[in-house]
Amino acid sequence: MFANFLIGLREGLEASLVVGILVAYLARTHRRDLLPKVWLGVGSAVAVSLAAGAALTFGPRGLSFKAQEMIGGTLSIVAVGFVTWMIFWMARTSRALRSELEGRMAVAVAAGGTSLVLLSALAVGREGLETALFVWAAAQATGSSTSPIVGAILGLALAVVLGVGVYKGALRLNLATFFRWTGAALVIVAGGVLAYGIHDLQEASILPGLNTIAFDVSDTIRPSSWYGTLLKGTVNFSPRTTVLEAIAWTCYVVPVLFLFWRAVRTPAPRPTSNPTHPTPDAVSV
Amino acid sequence: MTIARFRAGALAASVLVFPVMAACSSDSASSDNATAVAVTSTADACELSVTAAPAGPVRFTVKNDGEEVTEFYVYEEDGTTIVSEVENIGPGTSRELSVDLEAGAYETACKPGQAGDGIRGDFTVS
Repeated sequence: MFANFLIGLREGLEASLVVGILVAYLARTHRRDLLPKVWLGVGSAVAVSLAAGAALTFGPRGLSFKAQEMIGGTLSIVAVGFVTWMIFWMARTSRALRSELEGRMAVAVAAGGTSLVLLSALAVGREGLETALFVWAAAQATGSSTSPIVGAILGLALAVVLGVGVYKGALRLNLATFFRWTGAALVIVAGGVLAYGIHDLQEASILPGLNTIAFDVSDTIRPSSWYGTLLKGTVNFSPRTTVLEAIAWTCYVVPVLFLFWRAVRTPAPRPTSNPTHPTPDAVSV
Repeated sequence: MTIARFRAGALAASVLVFPVMAACSSDSASSDNATAVAVTSTADACELSVTAAPAGPVRFTVKNDGEEVTEFYVYEEDGTTIVSEVENIGPGTSRELSVDLEAGAYETACKPGQAGDGIRGDFTVS
């Protein structure tokens, strides 16, 4: 049961971290009215993944491994785009909030928050199919043993609990610290997702270099250990990382982190007294 | 690229997933002429019910009888190029892997613990 529990935990963490930070962010910027969009994204991704997984598990047709890797890889890279947008959205609004509008102002998010729905859906759905296949296989095994499905559900439940914990913990940080560190955490998470997406495309032979390895510590950090699971579920650390993954991760994390921290530290522009620098109180999406 | 266009692109990508899935799916369980191979994966063994098959669709049913999460791979003769794989097979569960194999020599591998080279075997398709 423990092994199935760890998989459930790992798959769940990858989504609950991003959603937890997103919900905390909406709370801190007084935009709780946008929460239904987040739940819509999460709910649709869960429903679609479970439905597709069930169709593939119990239906007559299977999915070629290449197609699966292509889907997972593409969705992961699209997800990185969205999370990156979210990171700089946070940086911009952190500046706006500090420019004398702190505490009261609700940050305007234009365009109806469709991007929020997509962001939440991608955070959950990019690996949703793979998770759904694993869950349905565990459900199928209930004929012989309920331990796989119980383990899987407990793992997913703990991931949700940890996501709630991230949300509550993030709420207690002071505003500047909140923006700086949740943004940095997202950059690291997004870097991991990018590396993971690249690995999927390497497995599908769309990108080369599947066996050109940068480092392999899978003897020390076994993927099926609890610490290996936590590292994979949070920052997508692969004990066996290819050179292309390592390059992509570095080329993403280093510049984005630098740009993000610079964006968060830039002093906010002065309001209205200078007509050439309007107050940035709206963030277009 | 404006955010609106990026968003449209992302929506398109996410929706296109479904026709791609349909196009790249293959008949698995209902193929009458698919060679069925039962694979049992444990901590130190990877047993296949048959290690040879005629060219065409082959359906591997991988049962994890071990304690660790396992994976099952079908490699080409060189042992490194992946023909097909199934990952995340939890202990006590079974997963199916359907693949069209042309004539040739292949290598199968079970990887309990999801690391290392795994337990290898030969598979011949005539």
